[in-house]
Amino acid sequence: MSAGASTVELTGVGKRYGRMRALDDVDLAFDRGVTGLLGPNGAGKTTLLRIVATSIGADSGEVRLLGRDPSRSHADVTAVRRELGYLPQELGYPSDMTAFGFIEYVAVLKEWNDREARSQEVRRVLDAVGLADQATVRVSRLSGGQRRRVGLAQALLGDPRLVVLDEPTTGLDPAQRADLRRTLSALGHRSTVLLSTHQTEDVAALCERVVVLAGGTVRFDGAVADLVATAVGQVWLADEPGDDALVSWRTGTGRHHVVGGRPPVGADPAEPTLEDAYLLMLGPDAHRVHTPS
Amino acid sequence: MTTRTEEWHADPALLSRYLAGALDAVTGSSVEQHVNRCATCRNAVGSLLEPRLVERTWAGIREAVERPSLPSVLRLARRCGLPEPTAVLLAGAASLRGAWLVGAFLSLSFATMAAYASGGTALAPFLLVAPLAPVLGVGAAYGPRQDPLEALIATAPYGRTKLILLRTIAVLVSVLPGTALLGLAIPGPPWLAAAWLGPALALVPMLLALAGFVGPRAAAAAVSLAWSGVVLGSTRALAPTWPVEAAQQGVYLGLAVAACAVIAIRAGADRQPGVAL
Repeated sequence: MSAGASTVELTGVGKRYGRMRALDDVDLAFDRGVTGLLGPNGAGKTTLLRIVATSIGADSGEVRLLGRDPSRSHADVTAVRRELGYLPQELGYPSDMTAFGFIEYVAVLKEWNDREARSQEVRRVLDAVGLADQATVRVSRLSGGQRRRVGLAQALLGDPRLVVLDEPTTGLDPAQRADLRRTLSALGHRSTVLLSTHQTEDVAALCERVVVLAGGTVRFDGAVADLVATAVGQVWLADEPGDDALVSWRTGTGRHHVVGGRPPVGADPAEPTLEDAYLLMLGPDAHRVHTPS
Repeated sequence: MTTRTEEWHADPALLSRYLAGALDAVTGSSVEQHVNRCATCRNAVGSLLEPRLVERTWAGIREAVERPSLPSVLRLARRCGLPEPTAVLLAGAASLRGAWLVGAFLSLSFATMAAYASGGTALAPFLLVAPLAPVLGVGAAYGPRQDPLEALIATAPYGRTKLILLRTIAVLVSVLPGTALLGLAIPGPPWLAAAWLGPALALVPMLLALAGFVGPRAAAAAVSLAWSGVVLGSTRALAPTWPVEAAQQGVYLGLAVAACAVIAIRAGADRQPGVAL
């Protein structure tokens, strides 16, 4: 890896599925730390993560992972995969495998050939996701959240330098999400972690950096605090929903949380949240992720 | 009595001798009984043990409890020198489970019996089933769905192509001996016992080449239908051995080479995750 190069470098990356443009001329670079990808469905998050996970190739542009071009040779893509942990968005689990058996199977695919070292590593990652006492339970008998954690555990095998997690918090309850945040923030000190989510609160709690994708392009790339700052002066608490608000909803206090547009009469400025800033960043696309009740 | 038992504790010297196995049988078993009931003495025993020994023992217990046992076929293969990591990978392939192999062997046995009962005039059941056993085995190696772990397998350093070839070889190795033995029981020329190998070895690469386009399930169905067509079609007017005669074997060889070429070309054309298979 050349000096100064980032762990992940995407330059002018594009990807199409038939006539649909999933990614369009994306320039991004990632280094150590946790970066959150936010975007509505179809924004290109999964496509981007699959390219970084060497699951699919880009149609155009340059992809460099850990200083290598994964499309150059079998040796290059294999070298990248040796340092990669990947949790796909949809991961099936063979119904007759136990949690231990499943992770051990993936460990062998990741070339953990020494039986004793492999067992220790499998136990380590099961401990890390809080499933040590479920090791002998069949994956089909675990709850959705536990299954997602089994998926996460396999991505942690070998402490990879590059960790790609596609919606890791799906199906987790608040306590499990808090555990996951602990695990991932520890991981972010050593590795480059990319995760996609629909939950802005996960990004706010976990990520130093956030990338907002919409329609296959990057709408925002920067610190979480900087994204929140873009919404200052555009969020109010008001007695009325606001005529031209981007979105607004009635809160538990009876007042309306109004995002965007002109301030309704008698509105009080409110501290923006990451979600407010995200919705404003999406503009008209915001209705696809937030339907006010 | 109970109160006195709770008050009394074994002294460290006694416990050390107990741990070293230096006590006589009666004293040893009464110390053991006591330690089982007394938390204070259990803690004392814990502090006298070497932590690494305890750790190793605990790891061994967890290993025995947590590690899933290998299917019997693979345990046998391990004894014959199959590397342990390979056995773990093969254990994930559904068609190497005992139930599947027993099923394959039973259907082959019935086909053999049918051919035997006809005195060699009806070879079709055997010729139909024998080459399809490995084909269906390879197709079934993916489990109930296409492959639930597809996305992970494709991005693991081991490589998808290597895993599929490994499963294929394992399926062939596990069905060949039984099929060859049953072939010997077929009435007719002795070469019949091995003749089914030709189409079998052509159908498997055809399945793999097709699977790269339409998935293993559809590919297995297409290849099975094609072979059934050949065998059943030949029963109308041709000799019972027609599907496996020399001229046809040449065609199978040609098809096998073509299928391998398709796989190789696809593997070369797309360097991204072993998409050839």
